[in-house]
Amino acid sequence: MSRRFGPAAVHVILIAYSLIALMPILLVVMNSFKARKAIFGAPLALPSSETFSLIGYSKVLGNSNVGMFFFNSVSVTLISMASVLLFGAMAAWALAEYRFKGSTLLALFLSIGIMVPIRLGSISILHTMVSLDLINTRLALILVYTAQGLPMAIFILSEFISQIPKDLRDAARCDGVPEIAIFFQVIAPLLRPAIATVAVFTVVPIWNDLWFPLLLAPGKETQTITLGIQQFIGQYVTDWNSVLAALSVAILPVIAIYLIFSRQLIGGLTAGAVK
Amino acid sequence: MARLNLDQVSKSFGTAEILKAVSLSIEDGEFVVLVGPSGCGKSTLLRLIAGLDPMTSGTLQIGDRVVNDLAPAERKIAMVFQSYALYPHRNVRDNMTFGLKFSGMKKDEIDRRVAEATRMLQLGELLERKPRDLSGGQRQRVAIGRAIVREPDVFLFDEPLSNLDAALRVSTRVEIARLHAMLRATMIYVTHDQTEAMTLADRIVVMNKGRIEQVGAPLDLYFTPANLFVAGFIGSPGMNLFSAHLTQAAETLTATTGFGYALPVKGATLASAASVTIGIRPEHVLFGETPYQAFSARVDLVERLGEISYLYCATVNGTPLIAEWRGRHTPSVGDTVKLSADPGTIHMFGADGTRVPDAVR
Amino acid sequence: MPELTQSALSSKSGFGRLALLVFFLGPAVVIYAAFSVYPLIATMALASFTTDQAGAYHFAGIDNFILLLTDKDWRGPFWNALGNNVLFFIIHMLVQNPIGIAIAGLLSLPALKFRATYRTLIFMPTMLSVVIIGFAWNLILSPLWGVSEGFLKFFGLGSLFQPWLGLEGSALITIGLISVWQFVGIPLMLIYAALLNIPEELVDAARIDGLSHLRIFFHVKLPLIMPTIGLVSILTFVGNFNAFDLVYAIKGALAGPNFSTDLLGTFFYRTFFGNQLQLGSPTMGATVATAMFLIILMGVCVYLFLVQRRLERHSF
Repeated sequence: MSRRFGPAAVHVILIAYSLIALMPILLVVMNSFKARKAIFGAPLALPSSETFSLIGYSKVLGNSNVGMFFFNSVSVTLISMASVLLFGAMAAWALAEYRFKGSTLLALFLSIGIMVPIRLGSISILHTMVSLDLINTRLALILVYTAQGLPMAIFILSEFISQIPKDLRDAARCDGVPEIAIFFQVIAPLLRPAIATVAVFTVVPIWNDLWFPLLLAPGKETQTITLGIQQFIGQYVTDWNSVLAALSVAILPVIAIYLIFSRQLIGGLTAGAVK
Repeated sequence: MARLNLDQVSKSFGTAEILKAVSLSIEDGEFVVLVGPSGCGKSTLLRLIAGLDPMTSGTLQIGDRVVNDLAPAERKIAMVFQSYALYPHRNVRDNMTFGLKFSGMKKDEIDRRVAEATRMLQLGELLERKPRDLSGGQRQRVAIGRAIVREPDVFLFDEPLSNLDAALRVSTRVEIARLHAMLRATMIYVTHDQTEAMTLADRIVVMNKGRIEQVGAPLDLYFTPANLFVAGFIGSPGMNLFSAHLTQAAETLTATTGFGYALPVKGATLASAASVTIGIRPEHVLFGETPYQAFSARVDLVERLGEISYLYCATVNGTPLIAEWRGRHTPSVGDTVKLSADPGTIHMFGADGTRVPDAVR
Repeated sequence: MPELTQSALSSKSGFGRLALLVFFLGPAVVIYAAFSVYPLIATMALASFTTDQAGAYHFAGIDNFILLLTDKDWRGPFWNALGNNVLFFIIHMLVQNPIGIAIAGLLSLPALKFRATYRTLIFMPTMLSVVIIGFAWNLILSPLWGVSEGFLKFFGLGSLFQPWLGLEGSALITIGLISVWQFVGIPLMLIYAALLNIPEELVDAARIDGLSHLRIFFHVKLPLIMPTIGLVSILTFVGNFNAFDLVYAIKGALAGPNFSTDLLGTFFYRTFFGNQLQLGSPTMGATVATAMFLIILMGVCVYLFLVQRRLERHSF
């Protein structure tokens, strides 16, 4: 390709597409720092000393709930991720390591969830949560997200576990290390690179989800940031400063974390575990 | 105290029989090497001894105990793996002590053992390093150290030198021999490399297709292979094997190959009209005038190694053979050479492939 | 504890072995069964019931499905949502996946500079919430703000501007393209990973044979990553027929204008929760969910039995 249009052409295409990917995000974030007049007057201009304004942010952050929404999202996402990783790795290990009657069937059973979206069971999930008295609790979300994330996590972690040399656990057995310690002290530390991959496939959808917060935890106390921002925008549709600031508040932390971990995230994706 | 006894040990995976009723006794302090082509069952046998895989049937005794149902750690064995199998996230010291900590051993005893292994293997400055910062040879020494600190009755080695380069392989081989002399422990060593087998073993066990073909001291295997398989497997390049036909004329029984090489033979089990195989090692082929029966062959290729050269030849009917030439002035490609062998170095195998002792006069 | 040995694990059964399996598999199996598989089955069971005025449940067999497919109040919205969903999927297959493949191909060119930067930037939208993205695009395409119009004017194309999200004819395609914009990162990454797995020697050999990069891509690399393209297609299918958030964020549950952006996901939501126009019905909601399940299942089966079997997997 490079000979036909030259490497410059390749870069032109990639830069053009990168701009398409970034422009909408930049546009929102950029304008969120401007006064209302400048948002409409010169939407494509960077905020200058005259147009700079934090009025939108003061409204959004002044809404005392934003901190709580954030806390809800962070706690739900982190606890869900921890249980998906822990229980997923344990199950993946048992399925990969111990041959037992029905192990293939169980693996098949656990993999249904990769293809069939858990949302289709929402009605019954709602009934279950009502009867367990878990509506408007973070626990309800955590349980559902754990169930949702497990199949893919088990799939990815099984691939990782199969890449760990078999000699290692044999050596541990010869050394007299108990089975449970073999998992937690020999195998688990080696799964660290898989965390990034599992995170992309499970954590990102959890953080961004609107459906289950709407269904299971719509109460003010338990709203996640995604749902909270959605409702906030619904209230302030015409207040562009607030809307743009609210969107930026939802976007910026994710982008910050993404940029910090992008090497690992993308490295995890391309590590060959998912082929 | 650490005699090891295998009685009719079998192993199947599904319908595939990997080991077929293997019986073997190993003396205390003996260094036994299991060799054979890949897939012969040697590694499987080692894993059964370690307790990493269950036996399908048979009995395994280590010392006075039947250990069939014991966990690897309870068998008083230690194993060194081809891939070293060091815990990547632990430093050298932790690699050696990790297993011991689970046995409830006192800290000063652990320290004593680590110090001893460290001294024996010169691991001193490596103790705080992680495996990824070590060379292949150093990793293998740590793996051996991890085995030593267990003070096992039996050491098991699974192709421990295969991942090392040629020079390290030689020095580590010497190190293992030295270790055996020092520890006087029973060692069972799996390899496909016959040089390792010949140099290290007190006794070699040659395996093929899940069975033991022959057990014996290295030189016994070389000079008196029990069957065609061992004859072909031990020695490099392999023994030249010629099929021959027996004919009886008056009192004399003669084995004649397709290219006219005729040898007078004897032996109670040999009868006229039977098929046999004649075996001559490349290093036992003689050139030119000798008092022995001779045949001619054409040189197709000369491989010069320095002190010796290998001549790849073809007899008049095209049967290939390899002959070892000592010295500088080798015959040229296309030359016809006259070949023979001292009857004392010629092997004979019956139609069933087993050795016929002292057959060639 | 001999019952924990490998020998015991692989042959004789025992309490220790069972305890070990329960310990490792128990939590995952219980949570997954209780909150994923059971609800799916229960939802499908609920689809065969109706409720009467008093709220009592009666078994109704496949009456709900007949209602959904034939009743004049149900069949229109259902077929509309299904048709829209098919179009939504076609847009992704025709736009998202080819773009993903092309960019992955460019990114995997040897000796490309700034590779990691491009990857990071192009993948960024995929990390963001559909809801947030939906609102952002809603603003950008809104004639009120005029930013899109201004942008087009800059290229002298100002007259082409339309409030695409508001027009019945273009709203669904616009939402489809927004979704493509956001999710192109997933096929991109999966295909990029597959391309990286192709051994360099193979590409070198093709270059020595005199093939250009373009030919190498089409004749050497593309055939080798066919299994990944198959996987990407089925993931796209499942994702599309389950989509909800984007339409809900941009257009709300009513999927306007005039239901022209209604997908099965939003139709399911309205059926279950109700809206200004109708009362919610758990049983009909379950019926729609079951129909969605069957559609997804059909897609997965087509993939597993027709597509995947014909794609040779290559190991290097």
